[in-house]
Amino acid sequence: MLAAGEGRRTGHHTNKVLLPLAGRRVFTWSIRWARMLPEVCRTVLVIREQDRELVTRTLDREVGPPEVEVIAGGESRHGSEWEALQLLAPAIEAGEIDVVVIHDAARPLAGSEMWAEVIDAAARWGGAIPADDHAQLAALDGGDPPVQRVVAVQTPQAFAARPLLDAYRRAHVDGFVGTDTASCIERYADESVRCVPGDAGNIKITFPDDLFIAERLLAKARWDLSGGREPHRARRSPR
Amino acid sequence: MSVELADLHCETCDRVTEHELHYSGRLLESVRCTVCGTHLDVPARDMLPSYLADLEQRVVSKPARMVRRAGRDPVGFARGLPRAIARQPAKFLEELRSIFRH
Repeated sequence: MLAAGEGRRTGHHTNKVLLPLAGRRVFTWSIRWARMLPEVCRTVLVIREQDRELVTRTLDREVGPPEVEVIAGGESRHGSEWEALQLLAPAIEAGEIDVVVIHDAARPLAGSEMWAEVIDAAARWGGAIPADDHAQLAALDGGDPPVQRVVAVQTPQAFAARPLLDAYRRAHVDGFVGTDTASCIERYADESVRCVPGDAGNIKITFPDDLFIAERLLAKARWDLSGGREPHRARRSPR
Repeated sequence: MSVELADLHCETCDRVTEHELHYSGRLLESVRCTVCGTHLDVPARDMLPSYLADLEQRVVSKPARMVRRAGRDPVGFARGLPRAIARQPAKFLEELRSIFRH
């Protein structure tokens, strides 16, 4: 779960993923929906070091066991993913983790159903990303549209764990910094990345309006995006 | 009413700027860009129904939240309970005042 931001922030303002949203902080909504799935055995939260105190207090108050592992992020999104993968590497190499799901904590409305779909598709095909159809692009000269289909790619994105780790190790050696996880997989792995249906409601908190919209969408869903699932509180993560 | 400061993308400034966010209870009431002053808020007519729906959910989910807190830190929970109960009337009054002032 990426909650370190994009390095543009200055000062001591609240990281947007730590803002209150309908009774919880933005980032714990995502953890809640993900951990409704029995397949999810470990949760790694990548943060800015300066947010650690608030994150720890929030996790203590809003998230039950098993423990969320909190680490500091890198300079970029790619760097943050690399930090998380290094933490998971022993478990991946031991065969304890089959699929790694990477999610932007600023998307609190990715429901359990979407998490289940990407995990299932990644286990089957090697990689899965949610994509939401957008209106076509228009050509400026009135000719044919430059591309036939435009999609907006969302998170959570899931990948077979071993090829993902290998791809990031090779990228690290080469000094390659991808813009997103799929770009690194495409460059260094043979896995096919499939699209699963995205959700227009899976918004990323970017603009002020997004907070109002997220609040409304949560209320409309009666604050429940679990798809009828129950939390798996008794489960312990393999170490 | 609580206030938070956060960096969000301002459409007027077309960049990430500092924003001041005002909350009534758990609900976001308004957001203002501290650079250009662009102000967004929930229409007054929508605020009360939203608040009442949210209040209902708060009340319904309260027992489970209390049990969770008590399980995590029974002594701290028991020690803080009388003060927390005593604080509720003033808290709700302040929230309602904020809604009607909006």
